[in-house]
Amino acid sequence: MREIQLPLSQTQKVRLQKALEQLESLSTKVNSDASVIIADSIHVNHEDGVLKGHGTADLNGEVVATLCGVVERVNKLVYVRALRSRYKPEVGDIVIGRVVEVAQKRWRLEINYNQDAVLLLSSMNMPDGVQRRRTAVDELNMRCIFEENDVVCAEVRGFQHDGLHLQARSRKYGKLNRGQLLTVPPYLVKRQKQHFHHLEEFGIDLILGCNGFIWVGEHVEAKDDMIEDQVSQSDSQVLFPNKNCVSLEEQEKNYTILETRKYISRAANAVRVLSTLGFNITLEIIKGIIDLSLSMNLDIHDMLGSEFCVLVAEKEAERRSSMKKRR
Amino acid sequence: MAGKGGATPATYSPSPTTNRKKKPPIFKEDWVRPDGRGFHQCRPAFFRTGAVNAASGSAYAEFGNTKVIVSVFGPRESKKAMMYSDIGRLNCNVSFTTFATPIRGQGSDHKEYCAMLHKALEGAIILETFPKTTVDVFALVLESSGSDLPVVISCASLALADAGIMMYDIVASVSVSCFNKNLVIDPILEEEIGQDGSLMITCMPSRYEITQLTVTGEWSTTKINEGMQLCLDACAKLAKIMRSCLKEVASDSQE
Repeated sequence: MREIQLPLSQTQKVRLQKALEQLESLSTKVNSDASVIIADSIHVNHEDGVLKGHGTADLNGEVVATLCGVVERVNKLVYVRALRSRYKPEVGDIVIGRVVEVAQKRWRLEINYNQDAVLLLSSMNMPDGVQRRRTAVDELNMRCIFEENDVVCAEVRGFQHDGLHLQARSRKYGKLNRGQLLTVPPYLVKRQKQHFHHLEEFGIDLILGCNGFIWVGEHVEAKDDMIEDQVSQSDSQVLFPNKNCVSLEEQEKNYTILETRKYISRAANAVRVLSTLGFNITLEIIKGIIDLSLSMNLDIHDMLGSEFCVLVAEKEAERRSSMKKRR
Repeated sequence: MAGKGGATPATYSPSPTTNRKKKPPIFKEDWVRPDGRGFHQCRPAFFRTGAVNAASGSAYAEFGNTKVIVSVFGPRESKKAMMYSDIGRLNCNVSFTTFATPIRGQGSDHKEYCAMLHKALEGAIILETFPKTTVDVFALVLESSGSDLPVVISCASLALADAGIMMYDIVASVSVSCFNKNLVIDPILEEEIGQDGSLMITCMPSRYEITQLTVTGEWSTTKINEGMQLCLDACAKLAKIMRSCLKEVASDSQE
């Protein structure tokens, strides 16, 4: 059984084990011999001219594993797929990152990758919405757009000599406010057609970052591109915007109603439950868990309890078996 | 300040008996080890991976009363001060809890442990696989009961494997103490205090390669050979336990 660190009673253990066994039987069978650990020899036919891939090494003419994982074979290529590995970016991935540094004409973001990602000022939509060359004033105003510790949504643009480059050239990208950032293992988030989700019935937005960072926040309407040009304001105001002077109207705008906050917490706990159980994170499953918690009249904090986790596992097993029957 | 002038001494000095190193009575025929083990018998070992959720990889190890937890972070971007490097950088740190040793705060003496841990692991990690980045290894000794460094090294190699860092082989480490003519494997704290010399071997058992050999005290050639053989045998057995721990995790994750 998968090791799940939950304080389970004996009955709950049995139920969870049964649910996980059912899920195992539904999933495609994996060859148990395929799992290897470091320095295990991998059986290959040398006459076929084997290509040694990632996670393998040569030792006295024998192919050995240099990672703990599962041996995968694609034609002549033999490689080891690691059980636990960091996020490996691909061009076009939607990622969520946290600003760690404001550098010259660029922001550096932590995106759960080996290296910090770079978001260039030129790869970013300006607040005034006008397409133009970035000037020295824009560079001085970079902290008005993003500052350290801000959570940002962006898209992987490509790999350059100085690291991974991101872009945020659309209205759906940018700074994320009024919500929760969750971290899950990256392999739980599969690449899909749609990573931005709006749960209308709850009034919340859900962004599933391919890098394992998940954002659950209040729904934000797409703003109009034409915003008052900041450059036309006086220089002193541009260079040193007074963040403390916030009008009552603005405060009211920034206030998130209690009902929405509750739904945000429910969605966040649903993601946490899925992460604990090691299930893939998709919109349908998250919606299902929220509905289940609401139908049971469960308190938000009770969603992280052992009983609810077992229930989710059982429901997921039911859902997958019914899907298989339909096919 | 308020106390009487001659009543209390100005400084505190421990009694001379507490500092004296007492050697075990090794010359007696019937000498047994304090924990009742045979001379060539290791302490029971326990390993577990995934002890720290926030880390990329982690492991917990128990050898008798010696308890160690190791967290691995990375590979992550090297600091700006670092120059460009084709190979990765390994950063090791060993620290002791204040309550790790019988005398509070005594564990902070072992400054050289970080360098020794680095030396032991460096040969086993394929540093070429993560250029321009750093892997941080943080070891914390929760309870010190002798042979701390070998336990830290073995536990760190398990944590690196758990983190998905490419390695040639897992690293096992064992130490031997010399008492006159007797060789004692996996010594405890009391035995380390009275030893004439110590030998620690760190090796990659599957490849028959030694990544580190540390010898202190006076050793004859025959004694060193005997001690090395003893250590290598113990390392091979220890590696089996470590591999079974990893195998268990691998099969669980596959399910």
